Amino acid sequence: MTSTRTDAGATTVHPRARRARFRLARPSWTWPALAYLSVFFLLPLITNLVRSVSTGEASWSNPFVYYVKLITDRYYLGVLLETLFVSIVTTILCLLVSYPISYFMVRKAGRWNVVIVFFLVAPLLTSIIMRTFGWTVLAARRGLFNTWLMETHLLARPLDALNGPVIVYVALVHVLAPFMILSISAVLQTVDVRLEESARLLGAGRVSTFLRVTLPLSLDGITNGCTLVFVLTNGSFLTMLLLGGGTIKTLALLIYQQFNLTQDIGFAAAMGNILLIMALVCLLLQARLVRRRNVKQ
Amino acid sequence: MSNTTQHGRRRIRKARRIDWGGAALLLYVIAFLVFLVMPIIAVVAVSFSSASFIVFPMPGLSLRWYGRIIAYRPFIDSLIVSIEIAVCSATLGAFLGVPAVLWVARSPSRIASVVANLLLAPIAVPAIVLGFALLYLLSDLMLGISFLSLLIAHTVIAIPYVARTTFAVYRAQSPDLEEAAAVLGASRWQTLRHVTVPLIRPGIFAGGLFAVLISLDNLPLSFFFGNSDVNTLPVVMLSYMQNQFDPSIAAISTVQMLIALVTLAVVQALYGVDRLITT
Repeated sequence: MTSTRTDAGATTVHPRARRARFRLARPSWTWPALAYLSVFFLLPLITNLVRSVSTGEASWSNPFVYYVKLITDRYYLGVLLETLFVSIVTTILCLLVSYPISYFMVRKAGRWNVVIVFFLVAPLLTSIIMRTFGWTVLAARRGLFNTWLMETHLLARPLDALNGPVIVYVALVHVLAPFMILSISAVLQTVDVRLEESARLLGAGRVSTFLRVTLPLSLDGITNGCTLVFVLTNGSFLTMLLLGGGTIKTLALLIYQQFNLTQDIGFAAAMGNILLIMALVCLLLQARLVRRRNVKQ
Repeated sequence: MSNTTQHGRRRIRKARRIDWGGAALLLYVIAFLVFLVMPIIAVVAVSFSSASFIVFPMPGLSLRWYGRIIAYRPFIDSLIVSIEIAVCSATLGAFLGVPAVLWVARSPSRIASVVANLLLAPIAVPAIVLGFALLYLLSDLMLGISFLSLLIAHTVIAIPYVARTTFAVYRAQSPDLEEAAAVLGASRWQTLRHVTVPLIRPGIFAGGLFAVLISLDNLPLSFFFGNSDVNTLPVVMLSYMQNQFDPSIAAISTVQMLIALVTLAVVQALYGVDRLITT
């Protein structure tokens, strides 16, 4: 009893010293989760890797035939590059659309911030199919936009917006911008407003205060948001499947089609692995960038 | 006197100039919020249309599409499967993930950070890749296309969502409380039940709620495990859309949204969603 009391006395002085003493959980408490994820998460990814070099056209003598096909065949290389292009463009668009919103939320909104957060999170309650279908409803030949534009005589003939690439980007930004906004505003919140005020007092204009103070300090949020949006765009195929009339073909969409139509399992596995590698490279890059800057998130 | 009015005028002019930038920003934010809700409102509107295709202005209002989704069995069946999968996988994910998080969050070792990364990793893998890879593994295990396979797949994704929020909440709690319980003679189990779990409940609930919402909408993962007996709603909706294009898709989407809203309202009544979001 006495020893515990002296312990307690010591730890009020050094609260950190105590953290290592009592731990409720034992290491064995992680076993169920570890076992589950090993069998149903790591193992399938590993067997998928093996499958891509050993099934169908791939064999011991020529294991990388699918990967070679992906980067040498003109069509597949095109799809690969288009996947990267779509993801990069969507990420940039999201960033441009989102930053002012995040800035407004943190610096201007005050108690209205809650309302904006609600608007950002509320679409999560609807399915992506619903949101994509919504764009179909709005942009269809006899949809809301065309009807409005024709009635106001801004258009003579209905626009065929559904079968172009633009609507795909609009829908992607619509689904993904909230992730970017929440990532940026989380970091922007930690930027002390007095730093901006000092810059202004010391004679910096609004633009240079933004470029030299606010923007650099919120870079971590930008990195997190961009990684998230990039990875999510890479993996999404529903938007490309339902909108744009097939004008945008990405790797994820191709996997879906390969599985549905040709059942070329080895090839689909190889494409999946490329997609996985792109995601991992992104996340490593993010970890590197954020850690190096060493700003508390 | 004139000096002070000049000063005041200058201040007013300055205030007005600041207002212009602010007003532009405010307008932009409002336009963006409209952009966010517009497609959703459009779908809800179309679900009450009497036309059998999408046309504006709508010729009339009717509930026929709601009648249609009740009559079309796959919609209702798959909706029930989707809800069961979502709730079961979130629960299972919590039972697997939370104990692991309790150790990971308090251990300074390197192994703990490796385990933490593994717990969160399934979010980073594109769902279509995971679904595809899991399908062949589960087929080899003779599970193939079944409710159990769907549940297994969705639980893999539920673990990181529950783990992430629980981790954040548990990290913010002082270990002193648990130690105090232990010092006062509580067993590990009693400490867990009466001290730790009540403290981290917001994290578990928030993560579980996220996991449910993600699961309900996880087409890329469910897509590989569907057949005519067991299927989730998004898969059925997608295949319906590829054959027909009538407002019943809008009706079932609206129903799904209402279910999510009601769930949220119930959680709000029981617990308070604002507390979930802020944690």
